[in-house]
Amino acid sequence: MEEKTNMTAERSLEIIRESIERSQRTIAKNSGLPLMWWGACVMVFALLIEYLWKNHGGPAWHLLWFVMWVVGYIGNRVIDKKKEAVPTTFVGKTIGHVWGTFGIFCGGIGLILGLIGCGVIPVKCVVPDIYVNSLLFMNITSIISLCFGIASTIMGFVLQNRPIQVCGLIAGFGGFFAALHFPMQQMYVMAAVALIGLVIPGLIVHFQSKN
Amino acid sequence: MFKPLDPLLHSELRLAVMSLLIGVEEAEFPYIKEQTGATAGNLSVQLDKLATAGYITVEKTFKGKRPCTLCRITPVGLKAFEEYVETLSQYLNPGAPK
Repeated sequence: MEEKTNMTAERSLEIIRESIERSQRTIAKNSGLPLMWWGACVMVFALLIEYLWKNHGGPAWHLLWFVMWVVGYIGNRVIDKKKEAVPTTFVGKTIGHVWGTFGIFCGGIGLILGLIGCGVIPVKCVVPDIYVNSLLFMNITSIISLCFGIASTIMGFVLQNRPIQVCGLIAGFGGFFAALHFPMQQMYVMAAVALIGLVIPGLIVHFQSKN
Repeated sequence: MFKPLDPLLHSELRLAVMSLLIGVEEAEFPYIKEQTGATAGNLSVQLDKLATAGYITVEKTFKGKRPCTLCRITPVGLKAFEEYVETLSQYLNPGAPK
């Protein structure tokens, strides 16, 4: 591109449009990878915990979630270093903050409920009589699924992407009710929520930026 | 009577640089060079012109041990760009209300 100053109004508009579109494509090109990576991490660890819990002990295997944060963080750093340097945008930062907040709150919920379960934080649970024979059990997977759905749907709105919004709603409400109805298959539900709420949106972003 | 277009923005390369910078918080020199396809020398000259007019800031810094030139659009630059686009739209739609 040279310093041409005798442009028509149409040409000026074309330069503005081309520059903005090219830049947006470049920025979006690598932003799907971290979503796919974290989604894959959650899926693999959920299925691994399910297997280990069933075959080699009890719920203590849930401590592996904290290993997942470490593995996920290291992988994310590697992805950041390998992808081409692109500028920081408001949209990119907002999505990062949304998922960062999701991670902090899910980690917090897991830690607090884990400490309650181990008796470190004394909590008295009172279940009204009418719920004693209930078939539905409120559990941590339901709460985390809703958090997943909120984060994924917000991302869909920020990116103005309808399929991602739908994925977020399915992951959130689908995961919430599935975990209530199938309390013994919570880890399978978590893996499905990660697939719908993270991996598929990551694939959508990745392939849309290529077209 | 049409308002004259800002001569500083009415240049292919400078307009492309400003169009890139309005959508990002900051951009590194190599990124702008790659996106515009300009030569390093020409781009430096045009960035200087935009910086002198107060449309952008150019910060020379380091990324680790590597020198890094960061460009950011300023509020003055943003206003000038908005006015440029507004004037353009008058050129393209002369009958439209202002």
